[in-house]
Amino acid sequence: MAAEYLKFVDVTKCDGCRACMVACKNWNDLPPEYEEFQGSIQSHEQLTAHTWNVLTFNEQETTNGGFEWLFRHQSCLHCVQAGCEKACPEDAISHTKFGSVVVDADKCVGCGYCVQGCQFNVISLATYKDKRGKEYRKAQKCTLCTDRLEQGLQPACVTACHTDCLIYDEREAVLSEANSRLLQVKDRFPNANIYNPQGIKGTTTVYLLADKPSVYGLPENPKVALSQVVWKDYAQPIGKAMLGVTTMAVIGAVISNSIAKVKNGDKGVDHHE
Amino acid sequence: MTNHWNDLQHTDCAMIIGANPAENHPISFKWLLKAKGKGGKIISVDPRYTRTSQQADIYGSLRSGSDIAFMGGLINYMLEKELYHKEYVIAYTNASFIVDEKYSFEDGLFNSYDEAKRSYDKTSWAFKKDEEGKILKDLTLEDPRCVFQLMKKHYSRYDVETVIGVTGTDKKTYLEIAKTFGATGKPGKSGTILYAMGATQHTVGTQNVRIYAMLQLLLGNVGMPGGGVNALRGESNVQGSTDFGLLYHNVNGYMEVPTASPEEATYKGFLEKNTPKSGYWRNKPKFYTSMLKAYYGNNATAQNEFGYQYMPKLTPKKDYSHMRLFDAMYAGELEGLLMFGTNPVVGGPNAGKEKEALSKLKWMVAVDLWETETSAFWQEGAGSKPADIQTEVFFLPACASFEKEGSITNSGRWMQYRWQAIQPKGESKADLEIIHLLALRLKELYQNSTKPADTPIKAMSWDYGHGNHPDIDLVCREINGYDMNTKKQISLFANLKDDGSTCSGNWIYCGFYTEEGNLSKRRDHTDEGMGNFLNWSWAWPANRRILGNRASCNPSGQPWSKDKTVVYWDAAKRLWVGNDVADFPKDRAPDIEGGTDAFFMLPTGKGGLFAGVNEGPFPEHYEPYENPVSNVFSNIQLNPAVKYGLEEMNAKGEAKDFPIVATTYRISEHWQSGAMTRNQPWLSELASHMFIEMSEELAKEKGIKNKDKVIVTSARGKVEAYALVTKRFKPHKLKEKTVHQIGMPWHFGYKGIVTGETANRLTPHIGDANTTIPEYKAFLCDVRRA
Repeated sequence: MAAEYLKFVDVTKCDGCRACMVACKNWNDLPPEYEEFQGSIQSHEQLTAHTWNVLTFNEQETTNGGFEWLFRHQSCLHCVQAGCEKACPEDAISHTKFGSVVVDADKCVGCGYCVQGCQFNVISLATYKDKRGKEYRKAQKCTLCTDRLEQGLQPACVTACHTDCLIYDEREAVLSEANSRLLQVKDRFPNANIYNPQGIKGTTTVYLLADKPSVYGLPENPKVALSQVVWKDYAQPIGKAMLGVTTMAVIGAVISNSIAKVKNGDKGVDHHE
Repeated sequence: MTNHWNDLQHTDCAMIIGANPAENHPISFKWLLKAKGKGGKIISVDPRYTRTSQQADIYGSLRSGSDIAFMGGLINYMLEKELYHKEYVIAYTNASFIVDEKYSFEDGLFNSYDEAKRSYDKTSWAFKKDEEGKILKDLTLEDPRCVFQLMKKHYSRYDVETVIGVTGTDKKTYLEIAKTFGATGKPGKSGTILYAMGATQHTVGTQNVRIYAMLQLLLGNVGMPGGGVNALRGESNVQGSTDFGLLYHNVNGYMEVPTASPEEATYKGFLEKNTPKSGYWRNKPKFYTSMLKAYYGNNATAQNEFGYQYMPKLTPKKDYSHMRLFDAMYAGELEGLLMFGTNPVVGGPNAGKEKEALSKLKWMVAVDLWETETSAFWQEGAGSKPADIQTEVFFLPACASFEKEGSITNSGRWMQYRWQAIQPKGESKADLEIIHLLALRLKELYQNSTKPADTPIKAMSWDYGHGNHPDIDLVCREINGYDMNTKKQISLFANLKDDGSTCSGNWIYCGFYTEEGNLSKRRDHTDEGMGNFLNWSWAWPANRRILGNRASCNPSGQPWSKDKTVVYWDAAKRLWVGNDVADFPKDRAPDIEGGTDAFFMLPTGKGGLFAGVNEGPFPEHYEPYENPVSNVFSNIQLNPAVKYGLEEMNAKGEAKDFPIVATTYRISEHWQSGAMTRNQPWLSELASHMFIEMSEELAKEKGIKNKDKVIVTSARGKVEAYALVTKRFKPHKLKEKTVHQIGMPWHFGYKGIVTGETANRLTPHIGDANTTIPEYKAFLCDVRRA
């Protein structure tokens, strides 16, 4: 189901200030994660369970002898056909009416299949301790600030952005803005493109990228594996009814491993990363 | 700023030099990208490719410390190609003025240089006058002794080849920049120059800014929407602090602090010496007397020179700026220090030595949000031996902006009131409250004293309500000023008097708090046009949003461009009207005498292409204090008017030992010495490590790999940090040789959540010849693997 509203990230308007990262941590009350020096001004190597958006910095020499320093606001794309959702054996991951993909913490058992199921390295597991000191895990990622959307507010990152690199607006308005922006930046960025991959029926976060997706570590043409769709939409409901949850979890592990292989295969394409 | 933030959207071309607003003033890019969306161009000139450069249409590299060469070349280009705005230049600048015969320039020196004193006689750079005392002019600009021709001659030496041999800029890029910015010289077009500490923190900082202003005058960009010379201030209220006498030689509103000289022995003598005969400053006695009335109230009378003798006097010619205070401290001449939100152990030049100087104090009071590197300078963590330090240190917790009310004045001179959001934590107090309590205690201590030396503190008026909490509304009313008899608020500085019947704490703010109320509290979103928002807060002076806006019109008072209309002469009403408040006497017609004196504050009413600051009437390129090449423009290496301080504080490095040019800067994620941001987890995680940026070429030469730990040394200290090897730094290919440059943030210290070594342990203790701002932005170092 296509969302009525989309988040738009025009990376060519980003000035790299990282206010979106702070706004995200602030609204979602996420703890800081101090990482090792990355060898660039990038702060975190990748998204984590406590860092839901990371600004990536990428130095590129262009074919005409020029230079570009490419920034990207990286966070969950909220795929229409979401690998994480398909992989979840507990139906803990679902789409909201806003098109956002969210995790139900009460249902999540921390099995981590969603981590394998995501082709964008977005979702991961956070470890917590209960009152008795026993560790447990929950899947965590960007929610598109669904709790804000429900109150008629924009996502926190969008509110913090001062250059209109991040916009949250009606679907048609976003897509038409994306197209006109694409035309404006083509001179400087001949490889510029709109990233809204149709192999997963589009995403609720649409990008205007200044270069090929692979330059940003994004799969060029992501797809949800057929096995995953079969598993989620057919096998799981039937299986749960017939075999019980535990047995299904074991079968789930087998399926998940096969998905992981598909995903790693994809990664081989991302040689620019 | 001559203009203001919103106004950046109207520019046809923004040249960003000595600034990195995408990182340090991000909100500017909200407006700059609007300009870009309308076809405006952005030029970024910087020693390294920054986040600003990525948003620019053209990036040009230059070696730190070569700005005057870069800009001088642009002036030469505009003159040679006749891209300047001729009608504007003739009408609104001093280009046509004939310069007195004494003026000369030879091999890097202007006339009247006194080598022993390292200073000039500035009065020797004067204009020729007729018998009536009127300045002689040649409106054809052809007289070889007119400012225009002298300027042309001066900058003819700055040809493109010579310039790029000094700056290291790629020739094609340099010419593209010249052509693009030169296009704003067309009548009706506007270009803006944005600068910050990358321009000012040099031994030639003042002249760097002067030469921006000259280029802008030549291209007719001053006074235009989307134009001007725009200082991006480094702190949210640094504009406000400077307006209120932050600098040692200024009292409020940019007026002089009296000196203990014979001619200033009386108030009359002081005013005579410091009041110009023409221009708006001839009203200075009204502003000064009103300020003395605010200081001393009813104790300031005509009989006692309005309390002038209560004012502390400076020793003539003595420099009381930051570095000289630390020199004096190091020499044991200072007993105590009060510090409000300042952290010199991280932020000061040659910070290691400044830290040593602190230990010579008897006492020190630090007012801050956190215990900073400076307030803890005596601790073991700072590398000190506490037992050896006798300084008694007091720490007063201050509260943050959200915990207090008051106003801040932004770079665009908008005075915006803020309200308290939350109660202060613990015992922390607002600065205003701390000063209030201090003043009350001092007055109490001296109330029964009969010593003449104690009269000033007794005479000081301090009526800000009862009790320990000051009534900020009373402070605001006094800043604006009121009639001493009726107590009615004064509506504008033009109504201030020199007879003691009015008071005003700061004349340039007179008008913000009228009988209508405190106008800085206004929040009206109505845009009267061009985004000036005249009923949103209040801007000094007189709510004017663009300074010099008379010059956005042609001599007969009509806008150079209909699209860029801010004010214009309405012949029917016989008034200057528009969507901004005219920066001009509102009823002075264009065709009467003075009607084209667009810069009416100045004695001549004309923009100063020729204007004497300490090192000369035209900016000239000199090399930084430490530099790896010889000056190709003359035999004078260093700015001849720069003064040396205490030798022990300022060891000098030579290029043979320290061949690499270095500079310091800030990044988006941290602020100043990091005291505020390195105590904030979500900012600390974004930039948690001290790093040095260097080119791949230098890294290869030195056997350094990205992420290696490296040691940077200068004649003053050493710093260990991570190497950030990047394509964004390139070696400078100069005429004499190829020079490497590195850069580093100066935010780190040993306190806070994230720590790192302090860049300012490397920087020199020398500064600009006019302002003495330290030369943080160009010095020499060496680098090796740790």
